[in-house]
Amino acid sequence: MAGIIELKGLSKTFGTGENQVSALKNVSVSVEKGDIFGIIGLSGAGKSTLVRCINLLERPDQGSVLFHGKDLTELKEKELRLQRRKISMIFQSFNLLDQRTALDNICFPMELEGVPRKKARQRAKELLETVGLPDKADAYPVQLSGGQKQRIAIARALASDPEVLLCDEATSALDPKTTGQILSLLQTINKERGITVIIITHQMSVIEQICNRVAILDSGEVAEIGDVVDVFSNPQSQAGRRLVSPNVAEPALDWDIPIARIAFNGSVSEEPVIARLVTTTGIPVSIMGAATRNVDGKAFGTMLISLPEDPGKKKEILDFLNGCQGVSAEEVTEHV
Amino acid sequence: MFDLFSDAAKVAQQMEIICSEYGFALWETMYSLLLEVLFSYVIGLPLGVLLVTGEKEGIRPLPRWLMTVLNAVINLLRSVPFLILMIIALPLSKLIVGTKVGTAATIPPMVIAAFPLVARMVESSLREVNQGVVEAAQSMGASALQIVGKVLLPEALPSLISGGTITVGTILGYGAMAGIIGGGGLGKMAINYGYYNFKFLVMWAAVIGLIILVQVFQSAGTRIAVKCDKRLRNRS
Repeated sequence: MAGIIELKGLSKTFGTGENQVSALKNVSVSVEKGDIFGIIGLSGAGKSTLVRCINLLERPDQGSVLFHGKDLTELKEKELRLQRRKISMIFQSFNLLDQRTALDNICFPMELEGVPRKKARQRAKELLETVGLPDKADAYPVQLSGGQKQRIAIARALASDPEVLLCDEATSALDPKTTGQILSLLQTINKERGITVIIITHQMSVIEQICNRVAILDSGEVAEIGDVVDVFSNPQSQAGRRLVSPNVAEPALDWDIPIARIAFNGSVSEEPVIARLVTTTGIPVSIMGAATRNVDGKAFGTMLISLPEDPGKKKEILDFLNGCQGVSAEEVTEHV
Repeated sequence: MFDLFSDAAKVAQQMEIICSEYGFALWETMYSLLLEVLFSYVIGLPLGVLLVTGEKEGIRPLPRWLMTVLNAVINLLRSVPFLILMIIALPLSKLIVGTKVGTAATIPPMVIAAFPLVARMVESSLREVNQGVVEAAQSMGASALQIVGKVLLPEALPSLISGGTITVGTILGYGAMAGIIGGGGLGKMAINYGYYNFKFLVMWAAVIGLIILVQVFQSAGTRIAVKCDKRLRNRS
């Protein structure tokens, strides 16, 4: 099934000569209707460029942006403007009009479309209810807190009745509690209005909390893409592992012993996997590094252990570990 | 000069001049000021907008050569001393208002001197507008014209008003100089009676009038700019 938004082979380079930076390298992502799609990466990974390519605030050097199968990069400016109304956007810095009240800010996109003023104000009031700020109609942005400003921005984004909502680091400027509230608002909007949400963030917690699919961006490339549960429980790429367990001890380059990486993908936390490994196989192992989290009584994360040199014993250990429920293990080769 | 003040007959004569001509001079100053400010903005405001929207990263980039010419012309007009510019531009007055003398004749040269200033003021005001807001409007599908009319100008309004206040002050100053080539008003009164005819009482009366005008416009402008700036509202 074709996605509502499909990015195909996007490339974008900034600067020239020595200062040239490839922000995006052949990025392809498909977002299905109804998804809450997360795009995560460390700063400089190119995620903001990527989201800005979706509504062509940034023009990619190469590749196409399909919205309902129609390539936006080929549209004339006027048609593009019409399509943009169906793809709303909210920002890290909110970007409200400072000289307008909250209500007039929400009316703004409807003014652009030529909706009669009375009707626009009526709808704006309904949207204020939706975002939980019915009493802030006459407040100016300066009188609102960060969370309230983002709520107004969300209401404004909904005013044009969009099909897709792009969130560019929308919660990065907010405290954790407010972030949680904004995220659940986005989730409600996704569920009740069927709006596809695309979230750009550097915060794992954001993805964890509301996304169903995720793409991990690393130096302008898609390192990994898939369902959040899969990617988070067992990241395949280095960038993915770095993000999921930021403290995981990647094997140091000077370790000259064989190492195994164990991934805990939701095994029972109290299950003494390592202790049983040692007692069952009789082979002592050393824990070289670990970063695990306990979520709902289930263990997630990775651990590095030393392996014996003997191939038979190695296999014995790996087989034992792979036999445990919710655990997978493999020998790490990238450090040698 | 204080001797003149002590001479009762001369003082009486000067007072008479002040009483009979001050009102008309003030009126001339005000109406020429109004027309000059009006036309300076009619030309300068769109130019200032173009200077911002037409640049390479602007919302509606214009050909580079056009921007270069535009900037060069504005800089050129800004660098010619006003008195010289006024004399050079007088033939234009003949063309536009049909005469080279009188108050009306001084209006076109003044507009030519003032509109580049207005363009630069408008340009700097519009540059203060948060680029993110412009981007948000673009993401909503706003056209370039809508961005100018609904985002750039309204968001920059307090700054535009401050700029307007400075422009009014400057044009008042130009107006006094225009007295030299026959433009009416308080400036002419100060120069003709005071400087050329040693009627210093009249000169001071005119000068003080100009000072008061500048003060009034400045404080009114500042007050309006502050009042209409919604960013300055205290949290309630």
